Amino acid sequence: MSSNTAGGYFLPLLKYFVALLLCAGLLSAQASVRSEYEVKAAFLYNFTRFISWTEQPDNKAALKVCVIGDTPFGNLLQPLAGRTSQGRALEITNPDNIAAKQGCNVVFVSESESRNLPAIIAQAEAQKIITISDIPNFVDSGGIIGYVKQGNVIRFEINLLAANAVGLNINSRLLELASRVIR
Amino acid sequence: MTRHWQWRYWPLKAKLLFLTLSTSTLGIVLVCASLIVVENKSYQRQLESELHVIAGILAEQSAAALVFEDNNQLTSILSSLRRIETIRQVCVFDASGGVMSALNSEREESCPDINYAQPMGFSDNYYRLLQPVTLDDETVGHLYLISDLKALRAHIQTFIFIALSIGALIQLGLVFVALKLQRVVSEPILALSGTAERIAQEHDYSIRAPVSGQDELGRLGSTFNDMIETIQQQNRRILESRDSLERIVENRTSQLSLANKELEAFSYSVSHDLRQPLRAIEGFGQALEEDCEGQLNDTGKDYLRRIRAASVRMGNLIDGLLVLSRVSRQPLENQRFNLSDMLQEITEELNDIHSPLPTDVCIQSDVWLVGDDRMLRIAFQNLLENAWKYSAKEEKRVIDVSATSEANYITIAVKDNGVGFDMRYVSKLFVAFNRLHAPSEFSGTGIGLATVSRVIRRHSGDIFATSDVGAGATFYVKLPILPDGH
Repeated sequence: MSSNTAGGYFLPLLKYFVALLLCAGLLSAQASVRSEYEVKAAFLYNFTRFISWTEQPDNKAALKVCVIGDTPFGNLLQPLAGRTSQGRALEITNPDNIAAKQGCNVVFVSESESRNLPAIIAQAEAQKIITISDIPNFVDSGGIIGYVKQGNVIRFEINLLAANAVGLNINSRLLELASRVIR
Repeated sequence: MTRHWQWRYWPLKAKLLFLTLSTSTLGIVLVCASLIVVENKSYQRQLESELHVIAGILAEQSAAALVFEDNNQLTSILSSLRRIETIRQVCVFDASGGVMSALNSEREESCPDINYAQPMGFSDNYYRLLQPVTLDDETVGHLYLISDLKALRAHIQTFIFIALSIGALIQLGLVFVALKLQRVVSEPILALSGTAERIAQEHDYSIRAPVSGQDELGRLGSTFNDMIETIQQQNRRILESRDSLERIVENRTSQLSLANKELEAFSYSVSHDLRQPLRAIEGFGQALEEDCEGQLNDTGKDYLRRIRAASVRMGNLIDGLLVLSRVSRQPLENQRFNLSDMLQEITEELNDIHSPLPTDVCIQSDVWLVGDDRMLRIAFQNLLENAWKYSAKEEKRVIDVSATSEANYITIAVKDNGVGFDMRYVSKLFVAFNRLHAPSEFSGTGIGLATVSRVIRRHSGDIFATSDVGAGATFYVKLPILPDGH
């Protein structure tokens, strides 16, 4: 009798405890695994640190990073603003159209702009802009750096030909890390 | 035997060798020790700088992989370090201190938490270093590296072994060199000491020490030679003067003995020859007295009596001189005899001749002498006669003869209670014809004590006398104790 009474109390308590533990585990797992765009935002900043221009008119000026189209980053890029890359402060803008992206040094092309891709790439090439995107096969379309997803891990590809055309020096360390380099 | 291990018993060569070798050993050990210390330091520094270079290259290589969180790339970068055996562990941390990648050799050790201070540098057989991974002056992570010091230890052990081996070889060489070189110093000294020893043993002052060089040893050698030269010259001079002295002494001795012999012969012949005329005087005096006494008045008789008395005294003198001459010339015939008995006989004879005075003679019994008993009888007869004579004016005559022996001498004392003599004239006592008393007081020739002295001296003895005027005299005869039959 006494054991029954004890079980009656104990069982719900245990369930509650297990649930609590699971919640805590999930929370901690989410804390350690960052979201895809968090990683991509960090990568975006890091790309700028390994790429330089052969002809740099003013290397003290701010490095302008433009996101074209609907931004998938939300406000994840905001922490990057003000950080420096190779001595240049980062400036994050989200111009409405391609025409307004005057003065951009780095351009992230969101998926929403995949139809305008050839035009954007042509213009970027002319203005010596680094193009980055997570549009599939972006580098094959003439883009310079494209995100790819290998399982759960975010990697990237580099079109060295396009980069050379724009007059970029890509650090060999970055090239080593690329999952594919078109050259 | 253990005493010979003491420093002062070591030969000079061993001392020199020991000093040289201990100095060089000290030097070699110090050099080796300092080389080892310096080598240890420089090897540590080299190791440190090598590890820093490796870590720097690694940090530069892994910066990109770190920011792009490419673990595969990091692992492949780190795996290049597998070929460096001494590196035990390499850990790559991201900016927040989380472990990105690790390379462990052998044992699995977890990477330390770099958010807490870790011991860096050399400690516990390991070298640890934490290299920040920077990108554009921003620290994007850390590289932690542990190297064990087996290589350092092995290197230092090899170095110590080589240093000690070379040290031992050098020392071996130095032993050889020191053996050769110590001769430069020790040989002149040994030669000098050997020369000195030879001179001391052989007394040959013509030996010279070899002189080499102009240093202190050279000067010592030449000074030594100068000293020996001086000694040799002085020796020669001493020998020369000794030889000349000997010659002079020999010369004088032969002259003296010749003179002595002549003198003795002269005194003997004089004494002997004087007897003839004396006997004539005596004989004719007697004849005159017997045959012509009636023709002489009292004055003539008195003169005649005086002539006869004088001739008797002269006869005595000649007898004395003959005795003196005899005891001087006669060869000694030593034998053992009883002096006490001899003295007793002489006393009895004297008692028979002069009897009026009460006489008390005490002679120590059983005194034995070795010597010529005839001569010694003459000597002691003279001494006793003197004692008898000079105590004749006392109320009672007391004579005491005693003997004491000490070391190699026996001393016989003849003591009387007579008139004695003045000690001021003691030196004249034993000289012939010297008399301390007037003939009117005591009769005598003045030859008796000279004869005694001559006999005693011929027995290699000595005679001396002590006295106080009026309190008797004591004559001491000191004779060497001769072995029986000589």
